[in-house]
Amino acid sequence: MAPEVLLLAAGLLALFADRMPGGGRTGAWIGFTGAALSATAALWASPEATLFGGMLSWGGGSVLARVAVGAMTALFCLWLAGRGMPDERRGEAVAQAMFSACGAMLLAAANDMVTFFIAAELSTMPAYVLMGYRRRDAASLEGALKYFLLSMLTGLVTLYGLSLLFGASGTTLYDGLGLRGLGLLGTIGAVMAFAGMFAKISAAPFHFWTPDAYAGAPAASVAFVSTVPKIAGAFAMVRLADVLAPAAPELPLVFALVAAASMLLGNLAAYPQTDIRRLMAYSGIAHSGYLMLGIAAGSEGALAATVFYAAAYSLPSLAVMLVAAEEGNRLDDFAGLVTRRPVVAWSMVVWLLSLVGIPPMWGFFGKLFLFGAALDAGLGWLVVLAVLASVASAGYYFRVLHPVFLRAPEPGREPIAASVPASLALGLALAGTVGLGIVTAPLLELLGTHLP
Amino acid sequence: MFPLLSVIAFLPLAGAVGCALLPAERRSAARWLAASVTGAVLALATWMLVGFDVGADGMQLVERFTWVPQVGISYHMGVDGISVTMVFLSALLTFLAVLASWRVEDRAHTYFAMMLLLQVGMNGVFMALDFVLFYVFWELVLVPMYFLIAWWGGPRREYAAIKFFLYTLFGSVFMLLGILALYLHPAGGTFDMTQLAANAGAGLDARFQFWVFAAFFLGFAVKVPVFPLHTWLPDAHVEAPTAASVLLAGILLKMGTYGLIRVSLPMLPEAAASWQWFIALLAAVSIVYGAAVAFAQSDLKKLVAYSSVSHMGFVMLGIASLTPEGIDGAMAVNFSHGVVTGLLFLLVGMVYERTHTRKIADLAGLSAQVPVLAGVLAFASFASLGLPGLSGFVGEFLALLGAWRSGMWPGWVVISAVGVLLAAAYMLWMLQRTVFGKPSPVVAPIKDMNALETAIVLPLIVLTVLVGVWWDSLLRYVDPAVRSMLAAMGA
Repeated sequence: MAPEVLLLAAGLLALFADRMPGGGRTGAWIGFTGAALSATAALWASPEATLFGGMLSWGGGSVLARVAVGAMTALFCLWLAGRGMPDERRGEAVAQAMFSACGAMLLAAANDMVTFFIAAELSTMPAYVLMGYRRRDAASLEGALKYFLLSMLTGLVTLYGLSLLFGASGTTLYDGLGLRGLGLLGTIGAVMAFAGMFAKISAAPFHFWTPDAYAGAPAASVAFVSTVPKIAGAFAMVRLADVLAPAAPELPLVFALVAAASMLLGNLAAYPQTDIRRLMAYSGIAHSGYLMLGIAAGSEGALAATVFYAAAYSLPSLAVMLVAAEEGNRLDDFAGLVTRRPVVAWSMVVWLLSLVGIPPMWGFFGKLFLFGAALDAGLGWLVVLAVLASVASAGYYFRVLHPVFLRAPEPGREPIAASVPASLALGLALAGTVGLGIVTAPLLELLGTHLP
Repeated sequence: MFPLLSVIAFLPLAGAVGCALLPAERRSAARWLAASVTGAVLALATWMLVGFDVGADGMQLVERFTWVPQVGISYHMGVDGISVTMVFLSALLTFLAVLASWRVEDRAHTYFAMMLLLQVGMNGVFMALDFVLFYVFWELVLVPMYFLIAWWGGPRREYAAIKFFLYTLFGSVFMLLGILALYLHPAGGTFDMTQLAANAGAGLDARFQFWVFAAFFLGFAVKVPVFPLHTWLPDAHVEAPTAASVLLAGILLKMGTYGLIRVSLPMLPEAAASWQWFIALLAAVSIVYGAAVAFAQSDLKKLVAYSSVSHMGFVMLGIASLTPEGIDGAMAVNFSHGVVTGLLFLLVGMVYERTHTRKIADLAGLSAQVPVLAGVLAFASFASLGLPGLSGFVGEFLALLGAWRSGMWPGWVVISAVGVLLAAAYMLWMLQRTVFGKPSPVVAPIKDMNALETAIVLPLIVLTVLVGVWWDSLLRYVDPAVRSMLAAMGA
């Protein structure tokens, strides 16, 4: 529990950052320290553990999921220490991020439907605040409200589904789920529970809230909300699917259809976007599709590859949105970035190509393992769709790179002030995106499971 | 042991990082760094070529380390007679391309960094013996080539660059599926390319081989490019700066045919036999179509670009024959086309730099005004149309011979031979309109080649004659490797 406790403590401490010398900046540093320590603790924590009579248990890919959540929260806080939230206090943002990350870590450990639901809510609730963080900005509040209402609704659908599952199996512990078969009632419950989770990770056809909510929110909030909770969400779905799929043979087909819909819709709808937040929202929908591909495949290797991919996708996504938070939300705001900030511009190439899946970046290995596992599970048609979708995605990622490299800066545009912590955060994200691709073996060791 | 292959592959990476870190105003430092790094790589590649044991079987200078042990990915490099010539060609053309870019002033340090990064991928792809490593190098060429076209290219550069990127990516993801399919099949089960080739498709049933071959073929055919997947090529060539055109035609296209020879044939021999007629069909269509379209071009660079489609068709025909003569011929066209078309693109670049036009109609009387340049252009055109005694003839002759002997429908050979005639016709017609006659207004004031330009074209001319006269200088490397590959295939 040490990683979760560290996050919680750092979050509580950051709430009082205003009383400390340095104010919000100190709060961000507290958050960074807490999250970094938490990631380290997660790295050293024993890979197999159980708590509270089996309500929480760690195993399989949970080490990787926890480390990824901790490390990326640390990066986010490091960036906040440099830049802060525009026109707002940053201490509370740090605290919300820490609470959300804490929920995400618990979600990764959930081995019981009640813990699952509470942890999922804990990871989402602070996200509402982050999405509406600019309280005087109507668009931000509208986005947050949409997110809140839809998330609540889908949360309740999940809860209702879970209640049906409880009715069908007589226990809330995963260990007992589906042991007696689910029957029609249980299957409906399972589908409902997953439908809510589809909305949480914004998989089609439950994705409608995502572009609107992101487009209203500050880009820095989107950077966090679209990545860290998603890693845990994907991992929680992996665990739940692992338990339920044997008892409900219809589920893999549902997953496969969701995967196909998300990949197609996300990748095609991203094309006409001119706002980087909307574009990355659709890109996120597409990547949820890839995650669902792994869950649909359902083998042990596929589930491990799904967790691996969730981490590999999230890091560059986080970095791109942090750059957007610095530079502006319109694609036009990136015009001439290469002359203003060449290192950041070339880093954008690395991040976006990692999202496409170009080697030797981390994203390539994510796709390699994921597609391999899905192919092995006999989902050939879906894999063909997935690789075609990846090619299509290169087109709109290049729409982001186009103004960066091929357009002159808008007149009167000054380079933003340098910030050491923010540059360090982006530098770490760059090193991770390249380095974790080239040195991917230890990461697989961390994953603990055998890939195909 | 000195890791020669790794140094050849990754020395340019160090050079690229060095170029990128140089301050922007120190342009000459960047170009000197690029020239010395590519020069060193060329020296090492020559050393490798000289030290290569032509009689020995199997891979040489092998380096192998575990990379991702959990899934059996290793860092595995090695060369045989087929790849060693391609690595040398890549080293030579990159060095010359850097020299040909001496006058690039616009963002020079990035330009040379991109050239060097491109070389990492080009060198690596011919030496990689692990599929994942192969794919890494394969994709590595996309990004620098995209930027070379998109930043330093002609008026429609942005369109051409993204088209190049998306087309090749489309092909290569299918190649990745093929790689995964071989890895996941119980009879494959490895990313080790030598092991898969030695296995020669044992245990892979015909249906499986057919589809995996299709996936690989899509990846390679886009790169070659084969009709009807060639449409990215004229755009990319016309918009790319001269040096990028040289490398695109000289090396990048060869990656596709090299892939067919290294991967598709030895690993999937049964499918290769059943795909034979289809490859021959596409080859014949590419030869005739490329030549016919080249005829109609009014732009000198587009003419050379379409002639590439035609010439690469001969490589495909040689491969389709599945005979030692044919594949020897395919490799010879690969090498010769790299040298000769590289030379042609350099010359077109020199003409354009002087006259600011590539329109054939605007160019006349080059021989009267710039006799050396016109002479080299005539020489390169003769080499390109396959004049006996020059390198272009060797490969086309062997490819046609191999195709004839293979027992395929002889019509393919007849149709392809028409392509040779057409090549002679469009090349000579081009020469007639540009080289001869009275100097046109744009040609009248220009100067002949300078010392640097002469030094750049000289090695290519020497190689063209050398290979054309002394076939064995090339075939002694290629032939044993081709024969041992075909023997392993059981063909």
